[in-house]
Amino acid sequence: MTLSVRPLCVAALLLAVACDETPPTTGFPESLDAQLRRSIGQWSVVPIAAPPQQDPALVALGRALMFDKILSGNRDISCATCHEPALHATDGLPLAIGTGGTGTGTARTLGPGRSFVPRNAPSLLNSAIGLSYVFWDGRLSRFGPPPPDVTLPRDLPNVIAAQAMMPVLNRREMRGNPGDVDVFGNPNELAQFTDSQPDQIWRGIMRRLLAIPEYVTLFSAAYPGVPPSSLTFGHAATAIAAFQMAALMKTDSPFDHYLRHEDNAISVEEKRGGILFFTRARCVSCHNGPLLGGQSFSNSGVPQLGPGVGRGAPLDLGRGELPNNDVYRFAFRVPPLRNVELTAPYFHNGTFATLESVVAHYNDVPTSLRNFNPATLPAAVQSSYHGDQATIDDILKTLEFTLRTPLQLTEAERGQLVAFLKSLTDPSARDLSGIVPASVPSGLPVR
Amino acid sequence: MSPSGLRAVCLVVPLICLVSPARAQLIPIKTIPIAQGDQFQIFPSNNMGMGGVSIALPDSLGDPFANPATTARLRASRFFSAPTVYSLSGNAGGGRSLPFAMLTRRANWYGGLALVLQQVDPSRPPQQNGFIAVNAPLARPGSGPPIPGPDLRAHGNQYAFGMFGRSWPGSNLSIGGSALWTGLHALDGVDLLYSGSRRVEQTGHAVDVRIGALKEWPGERGARTLEAVVVHNRFAATHNVLYVDQFWDPGLQQIVLQPRTDHNFDHTNTWGAQLEYQMALPTPGWRIGWVATVNRATHPKLPSYDITNVAVIPWDPGRTYAYDLGVGLSKVLGPATFGVDAIYEPIRSYTWADAIAPTATLGGDTIAVGGKTVENRFKFSNAVFRIGVGRDIALEGSPKAIGLQFGLMMRSINYRLQQTNHVELTQRALRTGWLEWSPTWGLTLRFPEFELRYRGRVMKGAGRPGFGAQFVVGARDLAVSSGAILAVPSGPLSLVDVNTATHQISLSLPIH
Repeated sequence: MTLSVRPLCVAALLLAVACDETPPTTGFPESLDAQLRRSIGQWSVVPIAAPPQQDPALVALGRALMFDKILSGNRDISCATCHEPALHATDGLPLAIGTGGTGTGTARTLGPGRSFVPRNAPSLLNSAIGLSYVFWDGRLSRFGPPPPDVTLPRDLPNVIAAQAMMPVLNRREMRGNPGDVDVFGNPNELAQFTDSQPDQIWRGIMRRLLAIPEYVTLFSAAYPGVPPSSLTFGHAATAIAAFQMAALMKTDSPFDHYLRHEDNAISVEEKRGGILFFTRARCVSCHNGPLLGGQSFSNSGVPQLGPGVGRGAPLDLGRGELPNNDVYRFAFRVPPLRNVELTAPYFHNGTFATLESVVAHYNDVPTSLRNFNPATLPAAVQSSYHGDQATIDDILKTLEFTLRTPLQLTEAERGQLVAFLKSLTDPSARDLSGIVPASVPSGLPVR
Repeated sequence: MSPSGLRAVCLVVPLICLVSPARAQLIPIKTIPIAQGDQFQIFPSNNMGMGGVSIALPDSLGDPFANPATTARLRASRFFSAPTVYSLSGNAGGGRSLPFAMLTRRANWYGGLALVLQQVDPSRPPQQNGFIAVNAPLARPGSGPPIPGPDLRAHGNQYAFGMFGRSWPGSNLSIGGSALWTGLHALDGVDLLYSGSRRVEQTGHAVDVRIGALKEWPGERGARTLEAVVVHNRFAATHNVLYVDQFWDPGLQQIVLQPRTDHNFDHTNTWGAQLEYQMALPTPGWRIGWVATVNRATHPKLPSYDITNVAVIPWDPGRTYAYDLGVGLSKVLGPATFGVDAIYEPIRSYTWADAIAPTATLGGDTIAVGGKTVENRFKFSNAVFRIGVGRDIALEGSPKAIGLQFGLMMRSINYRLQQTNHVELTQRALRTGWLEWSPTWGLTLRFPEFELRYRGRVMKGAGRPGFGAQFVVGARDLAVSSGAILAVPSGPLSLVDVNTATHQISLSLPIH
């Protein structure tokens, strides 16, 4: 029996060796990709499909209109003046400079007796992507009621076409003031209409356009079944929207590739920044959904700058300026973030010139607001900074809840966040010079 | 499994379960406690009700399929059939097999044929919390035909087995060879392991070729025997995995769905060898046996990838060396049978992920195409313990008898993993383990004309992916491979405890 016991002992020893290593299961850290994808998955962030093909004739018309200063009362400013392709469809200025200004881009200066447009000119990159709200205060919406101050045609195909109807009505931006004369010294007939006569203004623009044979040709090609007498500015706005869809949709960023399951599309640092973006830095609480924003409003504690808007002037109450929107006091549309690297300066009044400064602001919004240094602004707008204690306290009262406590991001983490934001850039958006026409039908200078 | 029934499992781990119905010669490797069903219990086994003991106790039904040379012990030609069903608790899956086998002997030559038809149900997450999966096709307004829903049909596998051998009575030597071909359309559980997928279509085949030898030395208390087997197993499968991707459509200005099919290939080749020695002990009825096995498995690099997300599915090439050393005791004394096996399995596995494009590391370097981005080194220290008893009870005044069996099989799995990520410049370590155990039982009815056996077992201690939020979100981050299954590094997985119950009724009919 001795022999029969020995193997049992051997067996017991073997089992003991094996079972000795039985610890409780320990967690294995997730890979960066697993963390990032898990974080992304909770916020409906999806890649962007290719935009639909646009009618080339419509795009050609829209391109001409986008760059033609004939749309402005004084014939001195086009859509592209404030949405300059060289500056990625923005103007690089904190506050836009409308009609009467001179120069282009960041070198543009106010004309005599003119004042800044109260808000920053947002980039038109991806403006046709399907934003829920247009304009910084979101007064134009895909879903909501029409803007309170104007009655838009009902047959506009999308909100971007509707948006294109608006700047030509604005005296500071494109229309001019009564008594203005255009660049040829002729009276600005569009400025003579009252603000409550948008239809007259739009008809006036169409009269200008259809007086030019090349535009008649372009409109006929774009709307072959529509006689010239039936053409409205809605047709022009629709063409401008088509151009925006065809030329300014830039959604092929490394991050979009990452969303399409290419793990190597973004770097390790960008992934770490992405994880911060979607978790501890709380960016995603506003910048979520397919567009990484564009769907809500937020008071981000941005310093007040500029001449102000409406009843709140000299402050800008943002969406709170609209009727029955007091809850949105100092809240502005959360912008979508693709190509954000290219669209400085940032926020509704361009108070922060770099992504680094934006991230630093979000790291501790109350402190950033209180300690904002207007010397960081261009000299032309420094005097319009409203840094009094009452204004700061007023802003902080309705500050976005998630921004009330500091994020406590380290410098390295802030760098990672910036790296992630730069991964949202479509390389083809860096150079938009190809969309600029050599000339426009009116013969006015393109720049 | 934790008491809650849910367990977060980290996936930086390959999971390897060898596709073979044969026991012992192919050492199974698992890195997550996932229930794999009992799909490959397709051939009859006499000892299944005794915990599957085998080292010192021959399995008169199962041995010829594991080592063809043991067919030499066959006294007469026999017909076998062993309808087998298995099911996972929680309605998580199941399957059924119907084998027909005939072993025949003529003089010193012997041979056998077997055909098996098998049907495997689609795997489903275990039912919990009243969750009901939506199986309807997904409509895609204005953007193409509907995307099909999950495949709820059972799929079939086919097995064909052939065996041939010769014995030399003068020298008590027998040598045989066998081949098993498997046509696969359903590996149990695979469709659950592609997290976030809509459906998985499987095609593939496996070939198992083995040569065995049996040498016996007669003795007063019983023969000493030496068995040797060399086996080569090749597995090749393709998984066509349908995912549904979401996109924002700027034209429609809404989220749209687009189907995407990944074609994932899965190849594993294994060489194995086993030696098994049995001898009688001085005490009457007792026998002792030893077994030693070695496996070398390679998981070949896949020949071509054209899928966009290959970079995130590291179909890690790799290799595995697996060994086992076991000892068994048995006692057959009259109608009573007792057996016990203890096996220790040290295993070393090394897998890695290749860069399919130049990959920047956190340190600023670039890993060239083909360079290793992630390396995983596993050290397993597994153990298997089997014990069983059986008793035949003669019916008084009748040539009939009944036999009862009870047993227990326990498998302890422990491993350490060292992972080096050359992209993130990190090193991670995992040390984990769990215990799977299976109570078994059996009932035999012996008639003069034939024998009818029922064998059953329930495997406990493993789980299946459920609907834990992390799993769903993890989407395609778990990929499965073979016969060899390779799970992909990524994130936590939630498993829900399931039990696998297997029932086999085998009929053994002598052919006169």
